[in-house]
Amino acid sequence: MAALRSRLNNGLLRFWIYHAAGIENRYIHSIFKDGEIFSKKIYPSKQSSSLILNQSCANHITLTSHSYSQTPEHDKKSIDKLHVSPHSLVEKDLSSLTDEIRQEFSTASKELCEVVEYYFDGQGKAFRPMVVLLMSHACNKHINLFNPQIIKSQKRISVIAEMIHTASLVHDDVIDAADTRRGKTSVNLVWGQRKSILAGDFILSVASMALARIRNEQIVTILSQVIEDLVRGEFMQLGSKENENERFSHYLRKTFKKTASLLANSCKAVAVLANCEEDVTDIAYQYGRNIGIAFQLIDDLLDFTSCDKILGKPTAADLKLGLATAPVLFAAQQYPQLNSLIMRRFSRSGDVETARHLVAKSEGVEQTKLLAIQHGKEAIRQINQLDKSDEQQALINIVNMVLNRSK
Amino acid sequence: MNKFQHQQTLSQLNQRSLAFWTSRPDDWTKAVTEAEKIVGYPTSFMSLRCLLSDELSNVAMHMRKLVGTNHPLLRTARGLVYDGTHNLQTRGLIVLLMSKTAGVAPHKAQQLVEKDMIDGILPSQRSLAEITEMIHTANLIHKGVVNLSDLQPNDGPVKDMEFGNKMAVLSGDFLLANASTGLAQLNNTKVVEVISSCIGDLISGEFTGLQDENGNPRLKPDITFSDWTNQTFLTSGSLLAKSCQAALELADHDQNFQKKAFEFGKNMAYAQQLNEDLKPFITPDDNIDQMSISSAPVIKYILSQTPALPVSTLNNLDNRKILNLVKEGSIIKDCQNLCLEYGQIAIDSLDVFPDSQAKSALINIVQAVTE
Repeated sequence: MAALRSRLNNGLLRFWIYHAAGIENRYIHSIFKDGEIFSKKIYPSKQSSSLILNQSCANHITLTSHSYSQTPEHDKKSIDKLHVSPHSLVEKDLSSLTDEIRQEFSTASKELCEVVEYYFDGQGKAFRPMVVLLMSHACNKHINLFNPQIIKSQKRISVIAEMIHTASLVHDDVIDAADTRRGKTSVNLVWGQRKSILAGDFILSVASMALARIRNEQIVTILSQVIEDLVRGEFMQLGSKENENERFSHYLRKTFKKTASLLANSCKAVAVLANCEEDVTDIAYQYGRNIGIAFQLIDDLLDFTSCDKILGKPTAADLKLGLATAPVLFAAQQYPQLNSLIMRRFSRSGDVETARHLVAKSEGVEQTKLLAIQHGKEAIRQINQLDKSDEQQALINIVNMVLNRSK
Repeated sequence: MNKFQHQQTLSQLNQRSLAFWTSRPDDWTKAVTEAEKIVGYPTSFMSLRCLLSDELSNVAMHMRKLVGTNHPLLRTARGLVYDGTHNLQTRGLIVLLMSKTAGVAPHKAQQLVEKDMIDGILPSQRSLAEITEMIHTANLIHKGVVNLSDLQPNDGPVKDMEFGNKMAVLSGDFLLANASTGLAQLNNTKVVEVISSCIGDLISGEFTGLQDENGNPRLKPDITFSDWTNQTFLTSGSLLAKSCQAALELADHDQNFQKKAFEFGKNMAYAQQLNEDLKPFITPDDNIDQMSISSAPVIKYILSQTPALPVSTLNNLDNRKILNLVKEGSIIKDCQNLCLEYGQIAIDSLDVFPDSQAKSALINIVQAVTE
């Protein structure tokens, strides 16, 4: 048992190294620092590890700025930290989001409009626009900038980010043959695969036009990178890696491309629009990257722990699609028999059930949560480098919301 | 729709897109081969960089699974990789010829050093030509996504067709993503805007009411000839016109010159579509299967009848009967004249540019479709 445990520890650490090397060499330093906390605090022995694990998973997690803050608190006005509601700070902008997006489609024919607007029904979480808008204000306040023109452009980025996200959802639903999305019948079942794909392309073209009209070449470059990442991420889901270590870094790189890149780059874009120095645009990027990865890790975890009703989509959906996400990859360290199932993409009958069972028996879910927490911590560490403001505090609170969400 | 018809329309759909650029093989091939020499290299390797990427190699590897099915992706891919004679990539060629015809604006020319241009074309214009091809190909691939609820027994197993869709979505997205990063690198947001709008136009062209759920052509009530013009602009004119316009923007030409380039591309596309639409009527033995119910001659026939013919009567006729009806009057001649007119407008719009080999090549290409 002890041997298994140490193997697990090594495995986790190894993942970290691969992960760091795979995604961003520049930040290897900070991740190692976190990695150390990780290995010391979480895996000193079996007993304490499960203690901490149980605690952190059972209770509501609150990562506060105190424990990770690298900068002394120099805010003059006090901010009621826990009660800064991210949504209410940008509520006005978010309430007009759907209308603004629909406005962009006004030139389309009636038939095309119906398909492209199907997912823009105001029922989405608008998570990305919220983060982007808060980041805009946090950056602007950091450099004492109040330029209505720039704020307007930043708001456009939040609209564009939501459009790019939705365009990719539409295509994903066709690729994954999804039945439902946010509790409603998926676009491919309502309009057919062909029209859905074409509608996705249309949304993307409208987003690209809106992006170009900001008239800033650098912003166009930053966000076109997202479009490329989204596709490359989708391609990465096609294959399974033979090598176990490669498999985890592959998964994390895929997660970055499919989920985190949009957040990272749109956060960076609004900082660039504010004419922030590179250190600030980097903070924005790293915050978006880390919260994006944390977001997806929790998403992958919920696919194992949530029931259909809460999530609005069928659970174990990833396994059914043949995808091995973090909980399975962690579980495979403990139960190597999962490796052959991963390689054949859970294609034989009973594979999905076996995998679910082994994941439940293993600490895969807890370890996934811990990994998400690590990314959450890093996001907070990054955003703490900006001057205090309500929006900056809200960005910290969002990390906790992401880590504690159940849907 | 019966089994046979379905098969036919699927292949018709692709032949239409493939054959779009292949009128009069002799004249056409000659014009294109000459033109390729002028721009410096054959354009058929333009998308090779994309085709050789890991991502598309991956798709190609999986393509084997589609063999034996009716998935349109198979035909599109085949045409793309093997069929050099079809000159699929002549949109890019036209963009390059237009770039060379216009040259760079005098104030920009002063800033350039000799190595900035190869064969009289800016590197950014070559990228643009490649992007134009990528957008067209991506659209061709995405239009070939099939509705799984409308499958016919001979299409192949549902699982395989679903897989074909997946490959089609991914490879089309891959090309669009490359187009998007390529556009960003041009460092000109006006070009990004105008070329992005082409993608929107291509999609809008699939939602005009002139096609059924599966993208097969159909007529709509109260059709007018402007429906044809609009359809042609959206599905082919826009990309060609706006790419030509963008090529001039990259060379810092003013709005007036850009408009001329736009007009050339647009009218060239009209002429070409008319040429394509006419083929089944002029040489029915080879092309009767390619006849489209929403082609210019059929629409002109409907409009020529008094009282106006209900479209439902034509929807139920087979191609041979339609051929005989349309051929009776002067409609074919009218359409040929219209084709010539569009070709002439295209050629006239080049008047503002000095005579050159590249300009002659463009004129030759127009004449290859109008004569």
